[in-house]
Amino acid sequence: MTAKPNYFSNLKNQLRIDPGVESSVIRELDAHLEDKSQDLRESGLHEDEAVETATQLLGSPRLVARQMYEVYSQGSWRQAFFAALPHLLVATLFALHWWQSTIWLLALLGAVICVVIYGWCHGKPAWLFPWLGYCLTPVIVVGTLLINLPGGWAWLAAIIYAPLALITIFLVTKQTIKRDWLFASLMFLPVPAVLGWRLALGVEDMFHWYERLYDAALWIALSFVVLAVTVTTFIRIKQRWAKAGALLMPEVLVLAIVALVSKNSISFWFWLFLTLLSLFLLLSPALLERKIRKG
Amino acid sequence: MSYERELLKGSTDSLLLRLISHQPMYGYQIIKELEKRSNGYFQFKEGTLYPALHRLERDGLTQGKWQKLPAGQERRYYYITQKGQQALTERVATWQGFSIAVDLIMQSSSG
Repeated sequence: MTAKPNYFSNLKNQLRIDPGVESSVIRELDAHLEDKSQDLRESGLHEDEAVETATQLLGSPRLVARQMYEVYSQGSWRQAFFAALPHLLVATLFALHWWQSTIWLLALLGAVICVVIYGWCHGKPAWLFPWLGYCLTPVIVVGTLLINLPGGWAWLAAIIYAPLALITIFLVTKQTIKRDWLFASLMFLPVPAVLGWRLALGVEDMFHWYERLYDAALWIALSFVVLAVTVTTFIRIKQRWAKAGALLMPEVLVLAIVALVSKNSISFWFWLFLTLLSLFLLLSPALLERKIRKG
Repeated sequence: MSYERELLKGSTDSLLLRLISHQPMYGYQIIKELEKRSNGYFQFKEGTLYPALHRLERDGLTQGKWQKLPAGQERRYYYITQKGQQALTERVATWQGFSIAVDLIMQSSSG
């Protein structure tokens, strides 16, 4: 009597749709198996044999999961806009030089936190994850800024802050991967751009850093517009492989913008390293998912 | 993909809409009804019927509702919506036009 639980376990592993819809699909297929097994028993098959045959006739769980995913994976234009909104807000912040205003920065941070809490408590819809990424980005940026503290303070900060930051990121990523690893990649999307700009502009000299940031603001805005377009494409595409491609390709473009603007501060080899590291970061949730499911 | 499968793929939505326009049905009932009405010609890979039903629901052509059978089990019945009824009318008209045109060519004896 393992055919049915195995089938549903395989199906659940590959379905990757909204949990509410998922439970309805499982319930519907379970009802189908109940009816089919009943018919097969009436035609003379033994109980176990009937369930096994009914399960086989349902077809490959992989195929059913893929087709069901394609039905539900395409978000509406409204969802796509809402998912792209945090990137557009950051782009606006830089395009209009509002990044210099503490009020605007706090307003954006407040909006991100409110939206994330709302989305997390309402079934983690696809539009939540780009917002969630912005909740994690400050954690990483603060970490890189602490490295620049003078003397032993940098070490102390690293010892205390780094494990806390890593645990937070890991726990949020794990929860996200349980829904779908692609959403974790969607969440990480702004991280390479933020790190790229952070490295390109440098922070050693505060005055020059501010000046460089002012000069590069329009380019930074453009890179976040690219991320917004990426997210919109991701939400509107149905197929998984195309969604993964849609996340990876524009990241290279964003890092190319960073390299072009930074002129000599990033060498080609460092840019290549950064690009490969970014692609690894975006694909790492897939590896983690495999590990979680095997474990 | 075989020619027959391609034809079926293009007509699945119309067949499903036509069936549930007569009376609301649940998945397994639809499969049996399709097989019965086509004298065994249409035999769906059972699991793949459900994505098709959910696609129709997503597009607003049908609506699914969980209901209890007289014996107490619950089944998800699919109802055709007004939008679905309109789509079906259009599809039937298109199919009839297409079928007549194909017949005219396929059955012509002049070559």
